[in-house]
Amino acid sequence: MQQTWLIAGPPGCGKTNWILDTLLKHEGDCAYLRLDGPSHEGLDQGHNAGIDGAWLMDQVPRLQDLSLSASIAALPSRDCFVLVEVQQFRPPAKSNADWIDPQVQEQLNRLQLKPDRILHFGLDSDLPKHDTLNFTQLEAWHLTLHGCVWDPNSLSSFWFELVNGAYGDVYRAKALMNLPDGRSFFCNWMVSQESSQFLPLEFVEPLTSRPNRISHLVVQGKALDHAGIQSTINDCLLGDDVLEMQQAQLRQQQQDLQPTS
Amino acid sequence: MAHAVISCLHANLAAFEAVLEDIDQQGIDSITCLGDLVGYGPQPNEVVELIRQRGIPTCQGCWDEDIIDGLNSCECSYPSQLAERRGHQAHHWTASRLTEENKAFLATLPLTLRKDKLLFVHGSPNSQHEYLLPDMNAFAALERVETAGAETLFCGHTHQPYVRELSGGSIRVSVQQKGNQPNTEQEMALPVRRIVNAGSVGEPRHGNTKATYVIHNDSTGEVSIREVDYDVAKTCKAIVDVGLPEVFAWRLSHGFEYAERADDASHVCER
Repeated sequence: MQQTWLIAGPPGCGKTNWILDTLLKHEGDCAYLRLDGPSHEGLDQGHNAGIDGAWLMDQVPRLQDLSLSASIAALPSRDCFVLVEVQQFRPPAKSNADWIDPQVQEQLNRLQLKPDRILHFGLDSDLPKHDTLNFTQLEAWHLTLHGCVWDPNSLSSFWFELVNGAYGDVYRAKALMNLPDGRSFFCNWMVSQESSQFLPLEFVEPLTSRPNRISHLVVQGKALDHAGIQSTINDCLLGDDVLEMQQAQLRQQQQDLQPTS
Repeated sequence: MAHAVISCLHANLAAFEAVLEDIDQQGIDSITCLGDLVGYGPQPNEVVELIRQRGIPTCQGCWDEDIIDGLNSCECSYPSQLAERRGHQAHHWTASRLTEENKAFLATLPLTLRKDKLLFVHGSPNSQHEYLLPDMNAFAALERVETAGAETLFCGHTHQPYVRELSGGSIRVSVQQKGNQPNTEQEMALPVRRIVNAGSVGEPRHGNTKATYVIHNDSTGEVSIREVDYDVAKTCKAIVDVGLPEVFAWRLSHGFEYAERADDASHVCER
């Protein structure tokens, strides 16, 4: 029997990590959908650019992306486990925990999804305690990096500077970044955490050209120096000649490791 | 007699003035500078002119060399593309601001200075670009000092001050003989040698923002590392005012180098 859970919470509260853990424990078919949440809550602060979805799809290959479907009719089986993530800055009152914002409800109706369970970070005791940052008072900045490849040491320096305040008071940063060896890293940082997460995606791109998957940076904070961030990023990204040179070396190394017949 | 050894000023006038004041307050009038007068910082002319005005014997650092010989005298030492781009940006800015007179002065600087068994260099006796990091292989470190004919080697370049005593080393040589003759073996004990790194006046990287230098006592051989407070905010403001990247000011104010360090202790420029 199909189960649909709706997980709501503010940016940075740990929704994605909780969803990944939950999906990994589930053995059958599963599907994921990320909804923008109520428009009056400031979508820009919660802009995610598909980073979470791409990360989850990579880690759980059997996971179906419901954002590409018109309805649950496309689900692989009737007992599919559906997780719906909703960006919501403030939880409802305890007495009204099953309340769903009308805009969110409308999106669910379009997909013929009816949640069996509704979980709110900050309200539901089954979920870890979320951070109390007021994200609606933060400014947000994001940058698409599709096809971009980072010099690894430069990425390390940039991320260090970014989360330590070189470009304004950053409260939250999340990204998917490509490296020249075909790997992509999920980079995740929150002001209340001691350190950043750098998690490699399972899928590795071929060493023949620029990568063709989601790559994006989202930053939330105060007094963000957009020009400074952009300028440093420009100095970190590899040009075509350098990328081809590095990939050629890696292709040669792979060839050298092939067993000779 | 005590003398002070300073290094890596990097066009940071406020830090240089504070260190000179600290040296003066201790009644020390003998100073040796290990180079890198310019690079990254906002006051290259002022720092070079103060060195000249005080008549401080100075050897040439890698940045001083690059300004004279042109960029890429050793481009292989940058640990990342970002560091390289920033280094180049700082180079072009410095080269455009430094007067011809001060450039000519940098061109006259010797690669090494020697005082009896004390040798003063910027990086290592091999090159201004070689890093003698504190955890460098002991035998390689000893080789650098011994082949240069020094008992104590003063260097900078790493921006990390340290005193390293190299003792207890020996070399065993086995010589194969002709025929059935047994091999002959010789063992020689290596003398005690020291490497003293003066750290950095203008671009510290030892965990805080204080300028560092060392004081060496010729009579006793004692070495002390000094840390000096200076007006970091003043230099940071100057960085922004002259149009250098604001991130340089942020890095300096947090005790990080403007760009990044090279990690390869055995790196030698091969241009």
